[in-house]
Amino acid sequence: MPEPRTGVFICNCGTNIAKVVDCDAVAEAAAGMPGVVVARSYKYMCSNPGQEMIAQEIGDHDLERVVVAACSPRMHEPTFRRAVETAGLNPYLVEMANIREQCSWVHDDGARATEKAEDLVRAAVMRVAYHEPLERLSVDMCPNTLVIGGGIAGLTAALELAGAGKLVYLVERQPGLGGNVARVDLTAPYLDSAPDILTDRITRVVEHPDITVMTNSELVRLDGFVGNFTATLAVNGNDGPGEERRVDVGSVIVCTGYREFDASRATHLGYGKHPNVITSFEFEHMLRQGRIETKEGRLPQYVAIVHCVGSRSAEFHGYCSRVCCMTALKYAHEVKSALPGSYVSDVYVDMHAFGKGCEDFYRRSAEVKTLFLMYGKGEHPVVRRADPGDDCEMLITVDEQLSGETIELPADLIILMVGMEPREDAESVTRLVNISQDKDGWFIESHPKLDPVATTTDGVYIAGACQSPKDIPDSVAQARAAAARILGKIAKGKLEIDAMFAEIDQDRCSGCRVCNEICPYSAIEFDAAEHRSHVISALCKACGACVATCPSAAIKARHFTDEQIFAEIAGVLG
Amino acid sequence: MAIRANPKLIEELEPYGAEDVMKCYHCGNCSAVCPFSADPYVFPRKPMRYLQMGLEEKLEGQLDPWLCYYCGECSDQCPRDAEPGETMMSLRRWLTSRYDWTGISRLFYRSWRWELLAILLVAVITAVAFTLFGMSQGSLSDYDGPNAFLPSSAIHIFDWVLAAVLLAFLLSNAARMWWFTMGRDKDLPKSPGSYISSAWMLPAHFLTQMRYSQCEHKGPWVTHLALMLSYCVMLVLIMFFLAEMASGPSVDWRVHVLGYLATAGLVVSSILFLRNRMKKSAAQYRHSHESDWIFLSLILAVALTGILQHILHRTGLDAAANVTYIVHLALVVPMLALEVPFSKWSHLAYRPLAIYLAQVRATALARARRGDGKQQPSAEQAAPLRTA
Repeated sequence: MPEPRTGVFICNCGTNIAKVVDCDAVAEAAAGMPGVVVARSYKYMCSNPGQEMIAQEIGDHDLERVVVAACSPRMHEPTFRRAVETAGLNPYLVEMANIREQCSWVHDDGARATEKAEDLVRAAVMRVAYHEPLERLSVDMCPNTLVIGGGIAGLTAALELAGAGKLVYLVERQPGLGGNVARVDLTAPYLDSAPDILTDRITRVVEHPDITVMTNSELVRLDGFVGNFTATLAVNGNDGPGEERRVDVGSVIVCTGYREFDASRATHLGYGKHPNVITSFEFEHMLRQGRIETKEGRLPQYVAIVHCVGSRSAEFHGYCSRVCCMTALKYAHEVKSALPGSYVSDVYVDMHAFGKGCEDFYRRSAEVKTLFLMYGKGEHPVVRRADPGDDCEMLITVDEQLSGETIELPADLIILMVGMEPREDAESVTRLVNISQDKDGWFIESHPKLDPVATTTDGVYIAGACQSPKDIPDSVAQARAAAARILGKIAKGKLEIDAMFAEIDQDRCSGCRVCNEICPYSAIEFDAAEHRSHVISALCKACGACVATCPSAAIKARHFTDEQIFAEIAGVLG
Repeated sequence: MAIRANPKLIEELEPYGAEDVMKCYHCGNCSAVCPFSADPYVFPRKPMRYLQMGLEEKLEGQLDPWLCYYCGECSDQCPRDAEPGETMMSLRRWLTSRYDWTGISRLFYRSWRWELLAILLVAVITAVAFTLFGMSQGSLSDYDGPNAFLPSSAIHIFDWVLAAVLLAFLLSNAARMWWFTMGRDKDLPKSPGSYISSAWMLPAHFLTQMRYSQCEHKGPWVTHLALMLSYCVMLVLIMFFLAEMASGPSVDWRVHVLGYLATAGLVVSSILFLRNRMKKSAAQYRHSHESDWIFLSLILAVALTGILQHILHRTGLDAAANVTYIVHLALVVPMLALEVPFSKWSHLAYRPLAIYLAQVRATALARARRGDGKQQPSAEQAAPLRTA
């Protein structure tokens, strides 16, 4: 067993560690461990004097390895790596023993905790002996970006990137740009015109010299890794045999949006059965035509708007589609202003008016005398044809919650607020760009709060309603956030890649391709000519799955070698 | 069985003053702050909901609006400015028009022009009729005595005839009120005993308005009680002691001490209410319906002409006193004939009756529950007319 000159530094973390663990005793015990030439205990190892002490001891004792027994490496490993680097030591030659979260914070018995701390330090000392100096890789960052989807999110992201002088390829499967926003009349809560918002963006995108718009087109293959992707696109594929085009991009933004819930699935609402039960998108179409009328061409006297169609139900989707409540209020306003003599009812479960200006909008909707009727979650209104002699076309039976009464509401036109759901091809998109879906089918972000537009695949971002139902402002914010993330990487020019990744010994690889399938990051490529697999180090997250799977033991994870792990086990067992 | 909602009903109620009810989003603050709201009479929230949804029959059957005295706390607490207090007031006006089978009340509440025109018409007829009657059998220069222009004996008979007519209207309307709120409710257990055991409430609440005194601010109750008691004292004096009232010019203190007190009560309280409404000094005075102004103005005018008539007679100006008497009668008759059965004054009957019926209803429900043996009535169910 190698015994490089090792220094051990025990942090007291104020009293966080020292109040349970006898740090001086640990230092004393460490001094006797294999290869250890110096062992010291100190109040705050992460402080500047603490770091300087480590650097000083490296020089004084000619240390080859360093062990810091302190907090979790998630907390201060980067700190101590930088500290040893200043003393001229490779940063990967430092190992941390976690004697705070995994020892002092979880034990009361000082003597036994001290014993455990010694075991953890011994494990680190024995492991670090096998560490190898590693170099971080650096790759070039291609400044071009592929934007998938030409809705409001895709258009915004493209304009943002092109505005910074970067090339953008915008692919849209439909013949025209604009996505779902192109189907909308006015927007809530300020009643701005959606066509006005959109037309300006589309014109700027189409005319921008740095944006290549490809409609009737789609991504068919994405190769490479962050900063260095090659996207294969089927251009004009919908009109006969498509032309295949390859473009080099550094980043990808997925803005594939959503589709609306199929209202005929909610059979009790009579969509498809009663001609005057229509979806919100059909009503938007009516508004854009400029005339609200029944299928028979009459002006409706009673208009009913039913919320949560497909959303927030055990039967269909459990989630809230977020935009329907305010859109429904918008309808109430539009109907009241177009047909002042009409009666508008809003049949809802809960009113979600969380956005800026929305609570005021809700109040104003009540002021124009909208009748709000609440039905219970898990229940559903039932639509039936009115009886002869009634002054309405249809009747909606509602178990009204605020009165406790079961009522029948007259209606001539019923608008169903259909929820959002993932597009039918969402799963194939996840496979193309190697991202994942949640239980409802929405694309998963890297961190729901702190990293909302990145994904687990470096260089692939998500923006807009493909991530979860959202309105125009949120979609635009995400698109701009994704663009900003990409511009930041482009500005750096080079991408630094962690030195920890898997490597395949080409002599031992049998080309069985088991690892190709097992890799959750699609980081292993198969070279058909050589009949060998190899790891794209920029994509590898060093999870170790391939290492464990390889039947030929041909794969080694850097910094997690078998020797290192066995030594650590031996150490902890004393 | 589903009840048909009628989104149009709110428009029917708007002329009665329910202009803001659609703003309500049922947070329930109004019912929480109300000292009287308790199961099974949860208001203002529940009647407001019925009104929004247009559940006409449910509304007609409600006693709740009469259990409210409009202290204004609910309107002050409302986060939506939906004016729950004024909505309750509007519902009382609407219910009055529903109880009235003649349709006159509906006409008055929906159009102040009609109400004023009717008052004017009755006033003119009264003035002409009494003038002709006076000229036919007396002398304008005699206030009392054998040649009196308007002898108290004749007026006395007229008073009793008028009272009988008004009572007939009021009783028939009250019967309709009973039918709407109790009679036609099939779910309500029959309990004749509770009508008897609660009977004391009718005169008690009429005379003391003891529930009103439980509102947080006592001022409105005191003023209202003063107005009501003054009116009652005056009514008793006129109905039973008119001859003593009309004699003179010396003052018969046995009746006049009460007369002066009652007159002062009428003048002061009506002026106070008018002033509050003009200044919009509190929530309950912010929204005045035309019927409120007409009612208070009539009371004040009647009181003032009565005072003037009294002074003129005592100072020996009999001719002037007689002319004033005619004017006084021309105000009194429409005030009684139109306001008592058809407009604001009808609440003198409906409110105590509602409090009584609410107790009867609650007792009947509680007894039925006890009879089932399933559940003992809680203290609140047995006596649901919560006192503060």
